[in-house]
Amino acid sequence: METEDDLCQNNWGNSSSSKLREPVCFTSQHKWEDASILDYEMGMEEEPALQVFDHMKASSGQEHNNNNNGGQVNVDFLQGVRAQAWDPRTMLSNLSFMEEKIHELQDLVHLIVGGGRQDQQQQQHITTDLTSIIIQLISTAGSLLPSVKHNMSTAPGSALFPYPREANNLASQTLNNNSNNNLAQDFDLPKPTIVQERESHVVEEHEMKDEDDVEEGENLPPGSYEILQLEKEEILAPHTHFCTICGKGFKRDANLRMHMRGHGDEYKTPAALAKPNKEAVPGSEPTLIKRYSCPFPGCKRNKDHKKFQPLKTILCVKNHYKRTHCDKSFTCSRCHTKKFSVIADLKTHEKHCGKNKWLCSCGTTFSRKDKLFGHITLFQGHTPAIPLEESKPSAQRGSSACENNTGMVGFNLGSANQESPQPGFMDGKMSFEESFSPLCFDTCNFGGFHEFPRPMFDDSESSFQMLISSACGFSPRNGGGGSVSNTSL
Amino acid sequence: MSLSILSALSEDLLVRVYECLDPPCRKTWRLVSKEFHRVDSLSRTSIRILRVEFLHTLLSKYPNISTLDLSVCPKLDDDVVSRLALDDTVSTSRLKSLNLSRATAVRARGLETLARLCHALERVDVSHCWGFGDREAAALSVAAGIRELKMDKCLSLSDVGLARIVLGCSNLNKISLKWCMEISDLGIDLLCKKCKDLTSLDVSYLKITNDSIRSIALLPKLEVLDMVSCPLIDDDGLQYLENGSPSLQEIDVTRCDRVTLSSLVSIIRGHPELQHLKASHCVSEISVSFLQNIKALKHLKTLWIDGARVSDSSLLTLTSSCRALTDIGVSRCVDVSDIGMMGLARNCSNLKALNLACCGFVTDAAISAVTQSCLNLESLQLESCHLITEKGLQSLGCYSKRLQELDLTDCDGVNDRGLEYISKCSNLLRLKLGLCANISDKGVFHIGSKCSKLLELDLYRCAGFGDDGLAALSRGCKSLNRLILSYCGELTDTGVEQIRQLEHLSHLELRGLKNITGAGLAAIARGCKKLVYLDLKLCENIDDSGFWALAYFSRNLRQINLCNCSVSDTALCMLMSNLSRVQDVDLVHLNRVTVEGFEFALRACCNRLKKLKLLAPLRFLLSSELLEVLHARGCRIRWD
Repeated sequence: METEDDLCQNNWGNSSSSKLREPVCFTSQHKWEDASILDYEMGMEEEPALQVFDHMKASSGQEHNNNNNGGQVNVDFLQGVRAQAWDPRTMLSNLSFMEEKIHELQDLVHLIVGGGRQDQQQQQHITTDLTSIIIQLISTAGSLLPSVKHNMSTAPGSALFPYPREANNLASQTLNNNSNNNLAQDFDLPKPTIVQERESHVVEEHEMKDEDDVEEGENLPPGSYEILQLEKEEILAPHTHFCTICGKGFKRDANLRMHMRGHGDEYKTPAALAKPNKEAVPGSEPTLIKRYSCPFPGCKRNKDHKKFQPLKTILCVKNHYKRTHCDKSFTCSRCHTKKFSVIADLKTHEKHCGKNKWLCSCGTTFSRKDKLFGHITLFQGHTPAIPLEESKPSAQRGSSACENNTGMVGFNLGSANQESPQPGFMDGKMSFEESFSPLCFDTCNFGGFHEFPRPMFDDSESSFQMLISSACGFSPRNGGGGSVSNTSL
Repeated sequence: MSLSILSALSEDLLVRVYECLDPPCRKTWRLVSKEFHRVDSLSRTSIRILRVEFLHTLLSKYPNISTLDLSVCPKLDDDVVSRLALDDTVSTSRLKSLNLSRATAVRARGLETLARLCHALERVDVSHCWGFGDREAAALSVAAGIRELKMDKCLSLSDVGLARIVLGCSNLNKISLKWCMEISDLGIDLLCKKCKDLTSLDVSYLKITNDSIRSIALLPKLEVLDMVSCPLIDDDGLQYLENGSPSLQEIDVTRCDRVTLSSLVSIIRGHPELQHLKASHCVSEISVSFLQNIKALKHLKTLWIDGARVSDSSLLTLTSSCRALTDIGVSRCVDVSDIGMMGLARNCSNLKALNLACCGFVTDAAISAVTQSCLNLESLQLESCHLITEKGLQSLGCYSKRLQELDLTDCDGVNDRGLEYISKCSNLLRLKLGLCANISDKGVFHIGSKCSKLLELDLYRCAGFGDDGLAALSRGCKSLNRLILSYCGELTDTGVEQIRQLEHLSHLELRGLKNITGAGLAAIARGCKKLVYLDLKLCENIDDSGFWALAYFSRNLRQINLCNCSVSDTALCMLMSNLSRVQDVDLVHLNRVTVEGFEFALRACCNRLKKLKLLAPLRFLLSSELLEVLHARGCRIRWD
């Protein structure tokens, strides 16, 4: 897929560092410029309107690409259109937009009339395009009514588009550091890729598991916050702050400023040392609450997910991305089984490693007895295992091992390989070591027993085996995994 | 009886006749003929194995055994059990009830074999297997059909083990977890969530909190709840029971220190069908609200409020509203006096058991009233009622013909005349006269001549009677199986030798009888073949001849206390090796026994010992392998 590269160029040209400090300010400026170079030239005073036009671009571009995600886009578009204030100039631009659209419509109809033989898919594309354009027309026409006025904070879709993207690599970063915003235009690109990206999300959405931490009960209404999305490379970059003089990288901005002092007296002034984001936007709009989106398509933390749950801070983004979408490269030096992608998780685990003495027959360990008992109360057929029992039949271990963490294993591989459907893992035989490895969420704030997302698929089978070999304490009366299997996170 | 008559009886008729017999007669029955023996072996359903050597033969001889008692079987261990599993002639598929109480040498492996072997197992008793832990519980949980399980004093059993059992045997009806000290709220909670059919639950002495009671209250079928001495449970916990456990019929909150009357009131309010309320030593006073609420309990049969301050008037109100009461416990209720007792007697004419221990103000008048109106009285406890004299006992003798159990321990007023009156209660089975210093041979003679059914007699520290009295007892009370003669200082060999006539005697305490020698003990050993328990502590004058005789004759001895006896090395070795059923020995302060003596004696019996008391210094003098073997066999050593 070309999304990766496209998106890199396609972003709104902000340096990440500047974004971190004053995202609203910068993004809005860029939007201005973006807007000004749009095909539909419009003078706009208000920020939300920009977004509308970004979005218009998106939807118009969509048509060139023959992409069929019209419905969703248009809903957003609709909201965006509503968001703009009534203004004669806006009206004018709207009218010209409609004119454009009508032309497009005409072209399309011509295409249908004179196209001759088209395969079904093409036809479908055209139909969706038609629909989308008509809807856009209608909604834009509706916005021409002078009474429609929304203010920015309440506009439901005002923050949804455009998704400001951050520069993903060092080059853009340094560039942006030097030249604040003029360069941004250079990064401005036609929008179709966004749409494409979104489309792919929709496809993959259903395969994804929401394995992520349900960390907060935060219920911000959509649109009441601004969504930022860092790129993968940036998330994984060891340093996010770079010295413009020597190029040295830092994890924290404050450390960079401390470092800068060595480059000359001009960096030692209180102003240079002060935290920059406070006074950076004096008198500007009240800053929106910032929330973050995971760049991983289809992830629940991704802004395109139906049940999108934003991440609160950059740190959350980093931890989330590493935990969920990266390989677990840190192995516990004590048990050599558990693996982690976030080093802090490893450290936390190592503190408690070996203390997980509460073991379930499914192979899952718990550090607390009540957690184990909650687990066995919840899952039929699971019994607490008695530790140091050497005479345990290996059959139980094996099957329980593959039973226990299927969800986790699936999730693990799922992050690497999106195409694999989860149930495929259920019949795979896992080694005993593997069964432990996925259980690495000590540091995550899982509520309840989320460590066991879908372990029950093959439960009935395994308990049946148990019954035959009658080797362990699996209850033969187990009401079938079905009732439990849909217990999701 | 001619042979023709016997042969005329068909087998099913024989079976019917056989079914009418009681166990001792059945023993004789099977000696009659081969046919009779066959009927016996086919009809017998329960068996108690005394020696492990016969386990295989007996089980293969009796194919229809459904109840197997291995609780007194020494040397029972995993190997025996696995051999049993290999034996094709033994059929255990019909076995429903299995008693493994105190079978400490049977561990997880054996239990699992047993659980697999006995498919139909429904009742299991593993109480007092102190080493029984989670692994054993896991093994037991293989027997999924278990309905009743007794696990008292399985000291190592924790929540994990309980969880295994709960998940393995979800049809549990009754479970007793008394003294399983590791069990916590989590285990009880899981039990209550998974075993909804539970009707009887015993959580006595556990360190469980109110959370457990909340879980227990969710049991829909619970009928009996015993929670004696749960120190962490208070009124807030018991409140849960007001609206929970709708079928509750019996509750025992004895010695729950934090429980007060208010929570009892709430339980009563929620359970008008309650039949047994045992709240001894936890309520301090009987309040008006309690009296008002208890009126609703029309079916209340048992009420124990020992230790509470109960005034006469409240006792009157109480008994007038609960006339169905058959068992009342008001021991240590110091305020109770004759007026209250007379009212009680009037109101509760169906009374069968009355406990008045330590009610110091109760006099003969009360006893007269009770005996005259409660003609069904079967059990009367009058311990430390010092005001009771021969007059009270007279009415007891006149009216209480059904009396089976009488406790007169420490009643100063009991004298020979009193015993004469008591002896008229010819159905008396258990009589306790401990610390009654005023009785002499004369009184004991009356008991011996009239109370022929007596099973238990306690004459602890009755220093007033001597050899003649004991002779009369031995002549008259032939069915005695439990006799306590400790510290009856007058007794000598002459008297003690008479005990040999008591063929059924199984429990004998001769503590502190300085006058008896080897000859006396030898006579007892020769006569009382069924002796199971013998206490010879402080019998300093018994010499080796007595112990030799004991070693030779008392092959059924299971428990013996030899503290402060002058037993020699050889005699001890002889005893310990010959007494093949001995399982519990106290060997403290044996001055004549050397360390080697102990070592050899214990080596001789180490594979059957289950409990052992030794002087602490021996811990370091005995060989470590001996101690290891003892430990491995599940023997518990108390170092004194």
